[in-house]
Amino acid sequence: MGSLKRLLALLALAGLVVAWFSAGESTRRYLKHLGRQVPYLPYRYFI
Amino acid sequence: MSDYDAVVIGAGMGGLSSAAILASKGMRVLVCENTGWVGGCCSSMDLGDYRFDIGASVVELAWIIDEFFTSTGRRTADYIDFIPVDPIYGFVTEDGTRFSYPVDPDATRAVLATFSEEDARAWDRFAAIGSEIITGAFGPIMTRPFMTFTDAMKLALANPKMAAYMCYMLMNFESTLCSFFSSDRVRASMSLQSYFVGLPPALCPGYIAFLAYSEHEGIFYPRGGMIEIPKAMAKVLEECGGEIRFDARVKRVLVEGGRAAGVELADGTVIRSDRVISNINAKTLYLEHIGPDYLPGWAVKAISSYEVSIPAPMIMLGLDSEPNLDAHHTFCHTTLEEMNAIWFEDYLAKRLPDRGFMLISWPTHADPSMAPEGHHCLNLVTFAPYELAQGDWDELKEWYLDSQLDLMEKKFGLDIRDHVTVAKVNTPSDFERMYLHPRGAVYALQNDITASAFFRPRLRSRAIKGLYLTGASTHFGGGVPPTIGSGIAASGLVLEDAGA
Repeated sequence: MGSLKRLLALLALAGLVVAWFSAGESTRRYLKHLGRQVPYLPYRYFI
Repeated sequence: MSDYDAVVIGAGMGGLSSAAILASKGMRVLVCENTGWVGGCCSSMDLGDYRFDIGASVVELAWIIDEFFTSTGRRTADYIDFIPVDPIYGFVTEDGTRFSYPVDPDATRAVLATFSEEDARAWDRFAAIGSEIITGAFGPIMTRPFMTFTDAMKLALANPKMAAYMCYMLMNFESTLCSFFSSDRVRASMSLQSYFVGLPPALCPGYIAFLAYSEHEGIFYPRGGMIEIPKAMAKVLEECGGEIRFDARVKRVLVEGGRAAGVELADGTVIRSDRVISNINAKTLYLEHIGPDYLPGWAVKAISSYEVSIPAPMIMLGLDSEPNLDAHHTFCHTTLEEMNAIWFEDYLAKRLPDRGFMLISWPTHADPSMAPEGHHCLNLVTFAPYELAQGDWDELKEWYLDSQLDLMEKKFGLDIRDHVTVAKVNTPSDFERMYLHPRGAVYALQNDITASAFFRPRLRSRAIKGLYLTGASTHFGGGVPPTIGSGIAASGLVLEDAGA
């Protein structure tokens, strides 16, 4: 189970890296903007 | 002992709709309003013989307004005379080209075909998806709570087809439009609506592009000005026995044992109620009216993390002749790059933009009674920072008015300067003073996907029991029908919790 989780996390990370390098300037700006908000989402979900 | 069953902070659209519905169900309701009028940003003011709208300039998604009146056992037509507005937008460009997008999607297609046959064909796909998303995804949640992953799952199960459109949540507005349309002019003319949720095309979520399509289902202007909508809602409230107290600024929300217990006004009056409904900015509510001492740590962290939206300074002009325009709304057309530059190069650098991107609203086109015979009203709306590197907004008012009139004349050939009889500038500071919008944020909080749906402050607070939120800060976000929808949804939760 632990290895499966690690594999899934690795795949997700690889997907993000591919998405980042294949994205245009506009999409990168968007992803950067969203990325900065991500740490707050667990708190925002409950407020 | 409660003075009222529910006390509402603010007579904006969310506050009034929730108050009126609760009063219609027999609750004793009091609305405390800071100003001397109703409507918040959906209001109008008289200047001499002219009446100007001070924020919202038109309504779409009229079925939400109908749902409000139906919820109180009434009919919209008995209270508001809506004038259909067509075309939706006119555009003027720097090279003198003019075009407009009619309400009828087929007529808009014909306009697009003059730019690009390929884009006209893409419009058919875009319109079909827009219509499906509005009906299948937005429609079911705009007047209902949408607070948890479970709510999202229920929506997905009820409309499995919507899964195909999830990609537009991860794409931005700009990429979404570019995936359909190839002409620069078409892309730019459809991108402006991203600013209606307070974000540039590069940062606005892609699905908002389809929400904007709702304008093709009809847009309307209330005869007598935008204030006629909240006035009608206030009338319903009073008919149902509810009360509005004007010039009653709420200083704080009383919290006892983790529960809302009423409000204290600026003059010291205490009004006790087990239910408090807030129609003010959620950051102001939680951080100033309640205060971190009464909130759990996670709640302080959550509410502090939201960014408020970009301000939209407005110029109101009374004219002694008819302006050379073609529609209720005219956009001074600029490129997609310029629209993004307003944010990345001007807004973030605290510079006043001078790129000529401007919405001109012409209410007397729909309703001539807003001005003396032969005269007209115009509202010029731009997007600009709250803090300015050039100085203070109050000092720059005259300069700002002059510079915008210059831009209209020199870039777009719209010379109205000699016809101006009345002029007033409402700056972000004015919006802050009048409506308590922190930093002049007319759309409350930034509306990207990390601050939407179940990531936006909830209609029913989890931090304080008995506290409910309405308005642009909560689900569904800013705009006249969405904020009315928030009031309908919040009143449903209040009634559910009261066991009614």
